Amino acid sequence: MNLPLNHNIPNIMHIDLNSCFAMIEQQANPFLRKKPIAVAAYATANGCILAPSIEAKGYGIKTGMRVRDARLLCPNLIVRAPDPSKYRDVHIKFRNIFRDYSPSVTPKSIDEAILDFSTQRYTQENLVAIAHEIKQRMKTEIGDWITCSVGLATNRALAKLGAGLHKPDGLDIITHKNLRDTLSTLKLIDICGIADKNEVRLNSFGIFTPVQFLDASEITLKRVFGGFVGYYWYMRLRGWEIDDVDYGRKSIGQQYALQHHTANPEELARLLMKLTEKMGRRLRADGSAAQGVHVSVVYQDYMHWHQGKKFDSQLYTSQELYKKVLWLFNRRPYPGKTVSKLAVSCFDLIPSESAQLGLFDRNIDKKRKVSDAMDVINDKYGEFVITPALMMGMDGEILDRIAFGRIRELEKIETI
Amino acid sequence: MNHPVEEKVSVITIFDSHTGEVRPIKIEWHNRVYVVKKIGYHHKVRMGRTLLHYFSVQSETVYFKLRVDTDNLHWTLEEVYNNESTT
Repeated sequence: MNLPLNHNIPNIMHIDLNSCFAMIEQQANPFLRKKPIAVAAYATANGCILAPSIEAKGYGIKTGMRVRDARLLCPNLIVRAPDPSKYRDVHIKFRNIFRDYSPSVTPKSIDEAILDFSTQRYTQENLVAIAHEIKQRMKTEIGDWITCSVGLATNRALAKLGAGLHKPDGLDIITHKNLRDTLSTLKLIDICGIADKNEVRLNSFGIFTPVQFLDASEITLKRVFGGFVGYYWYMRLRGWEIDDVDYGRKSIGQQYALQHHTANPEELARLLMKLTEKMGRRLRADGSAAQGVHVSVVYQDYMHWHQGKKFDSQLYTSQELYKKVLWLFNRRPYPGKTVSKLAVSCFDLIPSESAQLGLFDRNIDKKRKVSDAMDVINDKYGEFVITPALMMGMDGEILDRIAFGRIRELEKIETI
Repeated sequence: MNHPVEEKVSVITIFDSHTGEVRPIKIEWHNRVYVVKKIGYHHKVRMGRTLLHYFSVQSETVYFKLRVDTDNLHWTLEEVYNNESTT
């Protein structure tokens, strides 16, 4: 196939808040503006940097760095612990602004969203004006320090690429007219979806630049990536939409980077209980039951173990989930080794109304009603007001945090 | 450096009927009165059925994060940041 570039109007808009968490902290506390600040999971030496400000990035500080390493680059770095409720509030506000302009708004994460204008008859000039209006409204209605970068293109992939070209406060349009010139300024790993391993795959076929990637034939890309994935890249690079599919929720999970690494089995069991309780609350709020659970353990020496299993019975209550989680967890190798990170997730989700009760446990329905009652109490009086006994005294553990990627629970909230 | 505080404070607020805005204008803390120069951010959080309002505000030299519980209308100072001691 020899597909031309997409010549349509660039009516997909990708909006990305610049250095989101750090920018919001600078919005809230004006004394932090124009200073190098970073929001870290923990404001201690071993804490992981989640979001450096534009000023901190100027010192070479990046997401994922440890606070102690960041301070070597910038001794004056101001480190803040996250304030998730504030970030969620900003997210809801900007999402509500976006909904004034397009009936199709897809949040991709806490700080990014796609606006699809393909069903509306806007010219490119109209869309540029809308982008400027959105930027201004974010300053007026959210905060004067809030900026975003906007990308306009004919598909989601190129719109995201455009949003990343100029930060902060950029506005870039990628069309068939400037696609080649734009790609010539970038590296392969600047393209979302191309990291080290895919870069090596491309290099092994003689593709070293984004322009060469664009010029590669469909057959070559199918050889690089295999079948459909290669075809999707061929379409994507030419501005044709491939990524506007919502695959639905496949799993619900919680993870936790331990503030104090431990090998103590009782402490680990309690942490798993809290993670499972959080996961269970979200599962039931989603109206779902699960048929499988997955447990992941990262040890202090960075070794990683994980295992998942699907079960015959449907899992709904935190107790049902926890039994399976603990059973899997106890199968890990090196039980005496110090753990630094835990994650639990449940998968193969089904609507909870259609969940079948087991033949041999007549108390299942009663247990599920107790679980639902606990959820109602926690919804009314606050998270973890009533908990399993194992979780007593755990208020300061597994604090509220923002997940990476799409946060489906926020999409249902109109206002706090 | 932000300092966690968690102390009850006295706050004078104003309701502007034209804009529908409620905002703190003065804070008394440790026998000093601070005039609020700017509201950095205002947001709400639900804790169960209780609605909390958070005001991030700035006086001439100090940043305050205030919380008001809409059940009892009590104001709590959650954290402070003294710009004088960091510049």
